[in-house]
Amino acid sequence: MSSSAENSPGTACEFTENLDLLRQTYFFSRLPLESLKVFAYLGTREKLNDGEYLFRQGEEDDQAYCVVAGRGCLERSDNGSRRDLREIGPGDFIGGLTLLGEARRLYSLRAVGEIVCLELKREKFAKAVQQFPDQMPRIFRAVVEAVVSWEARFLLELGGDCGRCLPRLGVSLL
Amino acid sequence: MGRADRPIVRRSLFSWVFDGNLGWQLLLLAVIAVVVVARVLPLEMQKRIVNQAIHLRDLDRLLLYCGFYLAAVLLANGCKYAINILETLIAQRVLKRMRSALFDHILSLPLSFFRDTQPGTVVNAIAIELVPPSNFAGSAVSTPVANVLTLLAFAGYLFWLNPLLAAVSLSIYPAAMVAIPFLQRRANWANQKRVDLSRIFAGRIAESIGGMHEIHGHGAYRLERRKFDRLAEELRKIRIVWSLYRYAVKGANNLFTGLGPFLVFLMGGYLAIRGELELGALVAFLSAQEKLYDPWRELIDFYQVYQDGAVTYRRTMEFFDVAPEHAREPSGRPSVELDGRLEVKHLTFTTESGIRLLDDVNLELNPGEHLALVGFSGSGKSTLALCIGQLYAYGEGQVMIGGQEVAALTKQDMAANVGMVFQSPFMFEGSIAENLLYATEAAAPEGEGPSRPSLDDIIAVLHHTGLFADVLRFGLNTVLPAGSHPELARALVRVRHKFQDRYGEKFRDALEFFDENRYQLFSSVADNLMFGAPHREEFSAARIGRNDYFRRFLEREDLNPLLLEIGETLARQTVGILGNLPPDAVFFEQSPIPAEELPRYKAVLEHLRRGPRNLLPPEDAHSLLELALRFTPGVHKMAGMGPKVQAVLLEKRGRFRSAVARDLPDAFAFYAASEFIHSQSILNNIVFGNLTTASSPVLDRITQNIIQLLIERDLLETIVDIGMRYNIGSKGEKLSGGQRQKLAIARAFLKAPRLLIMDEATSALDNRSQARIQNLLETRWKRRSTLIAVVHRLDIIQNFDKIAVMKAGKIIESGSYTELVARKGALYELIGRK
Repeated sequence: MSSSAENSPGTACEFTENLDLLRQTYFFSRLPLESLKVFAYLGTREKLNDGEYLFRQGEEDDQAYCVVAGRGCLERSDNGSRRDLREIGPGDFIGGLTLLGEARRLYSLRAVGEIVCLELKREKFAKAVQQFPDQMPRIFRAVVEAVVSWEARFLLELGGDCGRCLPRLGVSLL
Repeated sequence: MGRADRPIVRRSLFSWVFDGNLGWQLLLLAVIAVVVVARVLPLEMQKRIVNQAIHLRDLDRLLLYCGFYLAAVLLANGCKYAINILETLIAQRVLKRMRSALFDHILSLPLSFFRDTQPGTVVNAIAIELVPPSNFAGSAVSTPVANVLTLLAFAGYLFWLNPLLAAVSLSIYPAAMVAIPFLQRRANWANQKRVDLSRIFAGRIAESIGGMHEIHGHGAYRLERRKFDRLAEELRKIRIVWSLYRYAVKGANNLFTGLGPFLVFLMGGYLAIRGELELGALVAFLSAQEKLYDPWRELIDFYQVYQDGAVTYRRTMEFFDVAPEHAREPSGRPSVELDGRLEVKHLTFTTESGIRLLDDVNLELNPGEHLALVGFSGSGKSTLALCIGQLYAYGEGQVMIGGQEVAALTKQDMAANVGMVFQSPFMFEGSIAENLLYATEAAAPEGEGPSRPSLDDIIAVLHHTGLFADVLRFGLNTVLPAGSHPELARALVRVRHKFQDRYGEKFRDALEFFDENRYQLFSSVADNLMFGAPHREEFSAARIGRNDYFRRFLEREDLNPLLLEIGETLARQTVGILGNLPPDAVFFEQSPIPAEELPRYKAVLEHLRRGPRNLLPPEDAHSLLELALRFTPGVHKMAGMGPKVQAVLLEKRGRFRSAVARDLPDAFAFYAASEFIHSQSILNNIVFGNLTTASSPVLDRITQNIIQLLIERDLLETIVDIGMRYNIGSKGEKLSGGQRQKLAIARAFLKAPRLLIMDEATSALDNRSQARIQNLLETRWKRRSTLIAVVHRLDIIQNFDKIAVMKAGKIIESGSYTELVARKGALYELIGRK
């Protein structure tokens, strides 16, 4: 049961760090260690330099990202003008939905300084999930809860400022 | 032979016995005739030895009869061996023919058949279920003939010796014929019950184990134990009954064979005492009586073989008794050449369960026109495309290609004129080149050698589809064994120098250069220690762990404890992660333990649980050592390697080098910037190091620069040619989804078909690749090939000649993009929604 019993001392390595990182994400946190290990193993780390893009708006990206170190900035371009939305940093998890199905990116993610991310490709995720079919409902539940609580928080904090956007609220009703 | 026309699934089992085996079967009968005589002869000799030789104390006769006896025994056994060989020969011939014929039949079954059929069922039928029928076919003539003849010969001989005694001793067989089958049926019944109950029993145990936390939580040990006991008790009872019947069958058999001699002694002894039977005849009688049992048993066994064979044969053939929807080859004419005109009239397609997937579809395309089929999922786009491609047999309406009805064309006609790319294309085990030529070779008429496309055509298609970079990368990842391409190796060293000069600094982050004074995290421990390419096979990566010289070095330098520790950690971590996963490349490409060796390491870990590392059996210790030598921290991320260990290994590298220089100066070529390294890939040779990243933008930039250098040296085509030989693995598993799609498009393009059907053929491609294919279709294939493309993404359809919007099996709107958008109908709405 305990992972410390399995890992003899002196093996602190990328894999264990990846495992800890994934365990903290909403997406993977409910999975038992057995399957979590496989996802942590299948992830790869990439380092990007300042100004490089992890993904771009309009692209059909096929992976999810967990920031290991450094910072990135989410941006959106409309009619040629670029706006920075917010920064993300270590521990942030982006693109869980990408693992579940194909979708075009609505935003771009740009490295601000050097950034290291743990990346998990949809193809690998799908292969692994096939081995743990009973975990899929847990993942779906986590995603549903994340979407609902995201919108709940949004309404709580910013619902009053919505104005013209009001008729389009309700992503949790999808 | 008239049978050849009948589909295999309608052939009787008996037809296989003689068909094509007549000569062998006749030979078999001839051998059987000899064997029957050779079996009876010893009986007569026995009689004569006792009656004449011994009784008359005639040594010459004794030797003569014994000689005959010996000859008969040798002949009988030799013939029996020959019979077995002939039976095996016939059985294996039949098996091969049955398998080929059935596989061929299965290949032409309609696609709908495979929707309801598990691949395992087909595998099982061909690999396993055809074995009993073929075994039957092998022995169908010989066993009954040989044994019935033997029985008759023995019985005849007995009657000839003494009819009364013969009648008495043979009287037990009718009784056996009634009793034994009865007991056997009871045993079968009990066995069936046992099997059923065992299944329930296993399920119950599994359930208890699965719900262990509930049992512990409730302290329900007694409860579970009681449930278990009830079943165990039932199982106990039925197993006893089953065993009783089984032993009863055996016992009855033994009883009947034992009773034979008893009757002969009783009756024969009485007759002999009264002087009505010679002693020799009695001996012969006893022998014959005993020998009756063998043919008898063989006949009973044969009956079982027949039953097994007949039942599995009937079931198998019934299962596959489905008629193909189209003829495969045209008879008496070459494949037709169609022009690319397509007409679809009132086409309706209904599934077996009555769901109407296409409803009165009408469509017309001139040769070379391009049509995009769009609409929601389930609107019938793919079904329409597959009906046009003859993969689905439509019920009503017409599909005409070049004025010919598709339903009436053969598969070969279609293959010669139509190219298809599916959404999830399938690749077969083999090289890129083989898969690329798959469609071209399949379309070539039988008997004619395929007209292979030229290398220029192939390279052009690779460029067009964007597969070129992938193939080049496979080529760059190839290891050139020593002596295979000496010219190329020399040229690549020159490329290496150029690369270092121009780009060495630029890619510092993405590469780990070979450096004598640094531990290489992206090379294996063995490579780090040797730091050179072996000239001799015995020092190769695969054999280094068993190399005596190397092992003595490890011993001398006291490296074994460290390596065993590394091996154990790595085994523990890897088995912990991958222990229960299937042998898929996705899981094992970053694993130091290949899938097939996983059980071995599980066993080693099991042994480690029982005792300390230094007491491991030598084989286990060796496995751990091998694993440690493979360990490449940059790739096998499940374990780390601290700087202290790196320093130790680095120091040993120097010691290994001086040892080799002293003992085996010609065994290694140590890594040097002026030498090609035959144990490393072409890419590693050019960059003189290892890649440290899998990020495609970086890889692309490196590849681009290398391409430039290769073009300058005129080496590009050579490397691509090497890349074309890359084996893509079972189902093409070593390729990404996008690479598989590009390969599928390339193989269809290479055939240059009149009609091209693409069913969401670019869905797995990135934007750039998709745009490239789209551009290619417009510039190169428009007006050359008629195209029907099922399209999901609406941003690529502007330049199609026609667009047909489908909904619920109907085309609800068709026309050019501008027309339809101007009309503000279904397409307009679809675009808006996306």
